[in-house]
Amino acid sequence: MRREPELRRLYDEHAQALYAFLINCTRDESDTRDLLQEIFVKLARDPELLNAIRNERSFLIRLAHNAVIDLIRRRGTRERTRENFAAEAISPFAPAHDPDEQTFRAELSRALAGLPPDQRAVVHLKLWEGLTFEQIADVLDIPPNTAASRYRYGLDKLREYLRPLYEEMKRAE
Amino acid sequence: MNEEIEQFEGRLSRQPFRPVPAEWREEILAVAGRESRVEGRAQKWIQPSSLVSRLSSVLWPHPVAWAGLAAVWIFIIAVDFSTRDHAPVVAKEFLPPSPQVIVELRQQQRLLAELIGPREVREADRSKSLMPRPRSERNFEMSMT
Repeated sequence: MRREPELRRLYDEHAQALYAFLINCTRDESDTRDLLQEIFVKLARDPELLNAIRNERSFLIRLAHNAVIDLIRRRGTRERTRENFAAEAISPFAPAHDPDEQTFRAELSRALAGLPPDQRAVVHLKLWEGLTFEQIADVLDIPPNTAASRYRYGLDKLREYLRPLYEEMKRAE
Repeated sequence: MNEEIEQFEGRLSRQPFRPVPAEWREEILAVAGRESRVEGRAQKWIQPSSLVSRLSSVLWPHPVAWAGLAAVWIFIIAVDFSTRDHAPVVAKEFLPPSPQVIVELRQQQRLLAELIGPREVREADRSKSLMPRPRSERNFEMSMT
C-alpha cells in the first residue's frame, strides 16, 4: 500500500516537532499521544490533505493546534483549570545532566505553563520552530500583528519569571 | 537591550524537548495504517471501474449460466408484461335471480328431499337423559350388594 510508507515518512520527519508542540500545550503525555494519533489517522483517512500544501510542517502544526483547541473545548473549564497546575506533573523538556541547566528547564517549564495558551503557542512556534510572524499567523489563523504582540507579551512574562535565575546563571558563566 | 533579549531568546530556543516515546511510532502508525487500508477499500468499491471488475470476478466462473439466468428473467418479465390485462375494470351490476330460476331451484330442492327421505335423528345425536342419581341411593345399592 502506497500510503503507509508516506505516513511513516511524515511521522519520522514531523512527529518530534508535533510532540513538542502538543506536550507544551497539553502538559499531559496521554493527551499528547491521543492527539498525535488523531493527526495521523486524519492523514491516513484523507491522503489528499497534503497535496496542495507548500509547507508540510506548518500544516501539520496547524492540525495539531486545531486538535488542542478541540480537546480544550471538549474538556471545558474544569480541565483548563487543571492545566494550570499540570506543569508540576510533566515538563516538556528533556532532562539535563547539569543541575543548573535542569533547574532552568524546570523553571522554564513552569513559566511556560503560566502563559495563556494563545501566547504559549506563539512563543513555542517562534522559539522552537523558528517560524516568522507571518508563518505563525498562517498556522494559527490570526493576523501577523496579533502573533507579534502575543509573542512580545509572552516573552516579557517569561523574562520576568526567569530573570533572577537567568542573571545568576549568566554571572556564573 | 535588544542584544539581551536576543541572548535570552537564544537560551530558550536551545532547550531541547523530550523525545517522542519510541514505542508510539509503531502503535500510531499501526492505527493509521488500518485506517488507511479501510479507507482505501471503501474508495475502491466506489470507483466504477473497480465495481465492474468486482462484478466480473463474481460472474466469471460461469458466465454462460449467469447469461442464461438473465435471459430467463427477461423472458418471464416480457411474458408477464404482454399478458397483463390492460382493459379498465368495470364493476358488474348485481342482478336479482329471475322467477324462473327460483322455481327451478325449489323443484330441485323438493326432488332432493324425496330422494333422501325424512331426516332421522341418529342415536349418537340424541341427548342423554341419564342424570346422576342422588348419592344416598347409590350408597344403598352398594350396601345391598
